[in-house]
Amino acid sequence: MSASEIVFSNVSKFYGEVLGVNRVDLRIPAGITSMVGPNGSGKTTLMNLMSGLVHANTGSVMVRGISPRQPERLMKLLGYATQYDAAPRGTTGYDFVQAGLLLHGFPKAEAERRTWAALERVGMRQAANRKVAAYSKGMRQRVRLAHAIAHDPEVLVLDEPLNGLDPLVRAETIALFREYAAAGRHVILSSHVLQEVDVFSDQVILIANGMIVAEGQIRGVREEMSEHPSQYLLHCRDAARVAAMLFEESHIVEAKVDAEARTLLVMTKNRDAFSSALEGIVLRGQEIDSVLPADENVDALYEYLIGGCK
Amino acid sequence: MAVYKRGYQKYDGPRTSHAERMLVIPRFAWERLLSQKAVTVLMVVALFWPLLCTLFVYLANHSELWSGFGAGFKRILAVNGKFFVVFMNVQSVFALILAAVAGPGLIAPDLVNNALPLYFSRPLNVRDYILSRMLVLAGILGLVTIIPGLLLLSIQTGMAGVDWLWNNGRLFWGVLAGFTLWILILSLVAMTSSAYIKWRVVAGGGVLAFFFFTGGAAEMINAVFRVDWASMFNPSWAIEAVWMELLGVEIPPDRPGFFECALSLSGLCAGLTWMLTRKLRPVEVVK
Repeated sequence: MSASEIVFSNVSKFYGEVLGVNRVDLRIPAGITSMVGPNGSGKTTLMNLMSGLVHANTGSVMVRGISPRQPERLMKLLGYATQYDAAPRGTTGYDFVQAGLLLHGFPKAEAERRTWAALERVGMRQAANRKVAAYSKGMRQRVRLAHAIAHDPEVLVLDEPLNGLDPLVRAETIALFREYAAAGRHVILSSHVLQEVDVFSDQVILIANGMIVAEGQIRGVREEMSEHPSQYLLHCRDAARVAAMLFEESHIVEAKVDAEARTLLVMTKNRDAFSSALEGIVLRGQEIDSVLPADENVDALYEYLIGGCK
Repeated sequence: MAVYKRGYQKYDGPRTSHAERMLVIPRFAWERLLSQKAVTVLMVVALFWPLLCTLFVYLANHSELWSGFGAGFKRILAVNGKFFVVFMNVQSVFALILAAVAGPGLIAPDLVNNALPLYFSRPLNVRDYILSRMLVLAGILGLVTIIPGLLLLSIQTGMAGVDWLWNNGRLFWGVLAGFTLWILILSLVAMTSSAYIKWRVVAGGGVLAFFFFTGGAAEMINAVFRVDWASMFNPSWAIEAVWMELLGVEIPPDRPGFFECALSLSGLCAGLTWMLTRKLRPVEVVK
């Protein structure tokens, strides 16, 4: 069993008659992993399974070689933040984070040092001694994050961590995730902000109806989806002429030219043949400024793979 | 990966013990509870009865003050098991009211805020959580039950001499064990009420109503079926019977005895613990 991965082996979880997740086989390497799926798809269940908050009915989960059934060991390396505003309203942000550390067993002086460090890390040092009730939604989100990272975990599990954050803090939070991932740690998060997930995730896990629909790097997942034509956006001098030349190829399904005849959206069934065709067009004297994949993102994957489940 | 691993260093310093970690929750809760006026006022009011009892102990140990009242009066002014049963009975009512005021805020806010996952994603399980919460109430209730009880015993020992304590050691253990059991029952009732009723006032009322209705139901069964045994299902009576046994006072023969009452209270505690653990789950499932 790998000590540097999170491994789900044939894991099923039912809440009575309600399906949580079904027959999940996953190996999650270190880095930023985003879980994407509609509400009730099983994202939080997967997070709860790896955090040991619920246990699988069948199969096994190992988090960096440790079973979630060993909470004393697991919680030393795992930090978890729920999607709920769970911090007690009457307590201060400082007390909230410090209490978490004391529950982890850190001596008081070490807990104090780490509390300030965590609050500093999420930009909450100034507001540390204010009551949670007086925090904005974004501040409460940040103090929850501070609570999760304060003990410096190897595995960070965050449910909807970007909700309610303003753009600046959002960027800082993503930078924090990247820093964690670069140190060889796991950052597992769920998000509905698909564009962002696309930008900062090393891999995505698409879930629907309690089953893993796709997993891996976004480009890799897209390449395996042969039933959906690939889309490319071409910027060129004479889009209409390029479109006409492309239609000579049998793998081209569709080509749309914009009103100014400068941009062309092409759908092809064969990426390699499309690449060769473009080379031929350029050699025939057409100028093409840029070629961008239009559906190698989580949005498109979500639509292709889960859209029908919504 | 080899490069990454060098960038991360685990904390290898000392960690506090499991027991010490469990005290983190009560510490914050005590601060919050003691800042509530109602709790402070109740705790002060609850000290009046022990003060009166102290006066009683003083009088009992200074016979020169009532020498003109005769032998009958001397029997009344005896500090013995009966005296402590009366003391505990009255003081237990204050403890009940205090539990009804302080108890509802213990668990309901965590359930409403979905905060249980935060606790259970620490090295803390449901049992630890329940024990931690129970410690909160035990600490507060102990201040109005065990501490005054032991102080009273100390005062009596101080006045009557160590020989008195030596001859009445049973009273010491009786007060300690009797109040501990009462605190356990009150804590479980208050926590269960807090776990199942999210409105504080209603949950507080639920604690009082529990003792009112179980007592009423037990007496009703006794009256309808013309029996005595149903009294063991009245927690107030059952605990009094246990106290009597512990303090060496004879239990009225027309009422259930010590073993029946102890069994009934054990069942009550087991039932309440089961209800609590059933409710306190880290993840709430909406069906």
